[in-house]
Amino acid sequence: MNIIGPDYLVFGVDDIAACTEFLTAFGLEPVNLTENGGLFAALDGTGIIVRHKNDPDLPAALPNGAMLRQQVYGVRTDADIVAIADELAKDRKVHRLADGTIETTDDLGFALKFQITVRKQLDMPAEKINAPGAPAQRAPNELGVWDDMPAKPRTLSHNVLFVPDMEAATGFYCNRLGFVITDELQGAGPFLRPKANDDHHTLFFIRTPEHMKGMEHLAFHMGGPTELMVAGTRLMNKGFESFWGPGRHKFGSNWFWYFKSPLGCNVEYDADMDKHDDSWVARQRPISPEASQMFLLQFREKWIPGPGPKP
Amino acid sequence: MELCRKNDLEEGQARGFTVAGFDRKIILVRRDGRIRAYRDACPHYSAGTPMAWKTDAYLNGARTHLVCHAHGAQFDIDTGKCVSGPCLGQSLTAIPVTINQSGGIEIAAQTEGEESV
Ligand code: FES
Ligand SMILES: [Fe+2]
Repeated sequence: MNIIGPDYLVFGVDDIAACTEFLTAFGLEPVNLTENGGLFAALDGTGIIVRHKNDPDLPAALPNGAMLRQQVYGVRTDADIVAIADELAKDRKVHRLADGTIETTDDLGFALKFQITVRKQLDMPAEKINAPGAPAQRAPNELGVWDDMPAKPRTLSHNVLFVPDMEAATGFYCNRLGFVITDELQGAGPFLRPKANDDHHTLFFIRTPEHMKGMEHLAFHMGGPTELMVAGTRLMNKGFESFWGPGRHKFGSNWFWYFKSPLGCNVEYDADMDKHDDSWVARQRPISPEASQMFLLQFREKWIPGPGPKP
Repeated sequence: MELCRKNDLEEGQARGFTVAGFDRKIILVRRDGRIRAYRDACPHYSAGTPMAWKTDAYLNGARTHLVCHAHGAQFDIDTGKCVSGPCLGQSLTAIPVTINQSGGIEIAAQTEGEESV
């Protein structure tokens, strides 16, 4: 079961215009956008699908009306889809669609879809830095920042679910779909990585009461910490509102900056996440502000110490 | 303390104001002619975090509820009570509002000892 990670996250919203404003300002590209919604894509084609919450084509909403309506997972080949369908059909309905994709629900009632991944292979440099003692990554005269530098989300990174039953959630994704636990924040939940992705996590669970079931946040990978800071600063300067960050997490080592959104969840920029293989042994730490971040900064308006006294 | 004129707050509109003495913005919201004021502090987390997704964007699409746009908690505009989302059953902190003789929307100044935490 070569699951790569989320291709699309599908939302049923009550304000498509607001979601369009937010997601385009965030840096995603509208694709086939109409007044009924559309796809907002990162550079590799993954992204957010937004529809009106009453759109009959959407999978059913959870009883609490959560805006998240489906998680669409990308896999490598048809054989992976068949393997997932065979496994899940043992104890639930699996709908095989004409286009070769399958739809079903997980053990908590979240709607799932599996498809051959839409991810385009990106060929772009990571943020380049220069440091004494190491070969320079930027050529002479190559600048690190410039005013209109690009800072676009490259790919859908991960999503985080509020789940009332942690054992059911972990059991389903690990035992049935082959995810592995990379680390665990005790009191919140585990970080999960699917088999065909070496990112520290594409999925994280937070234990909550039943009425909170839904999306806590979703995140896109940026090209590096500078792009994350630039993109977040541009949002702040346009009046969008930060929820948490910028900062750098400990588990996963990824930089983060979370923004509130009209999608019913926070939307995060992340950058420079750890990679893992099967030799990694999961760490466990009780959740706390100290355990969850290496450092946390607060945005402020640009300022300089001056002008000083005239000469 | 006057935050704005009544005419500056349209029916179905919410606005946030930074007010001296308050550690969070104050949300003014007008619906069915009634004007309410609340601290811009979602009760989901004990610190009480700000709720808009951009400046003054406190309402849902239908403009029937105040919303915390971190996790979509919806609050009854009249009572401040959370009717769906993480802080179900909890309430926003209401601030008494008066309309003065010249049509200004006023809230009482924060008095010592009442500081919100
Ligand atoms: S912080 Fe307001 S709903 Fe979570
Ligand atoms: Fe995240």
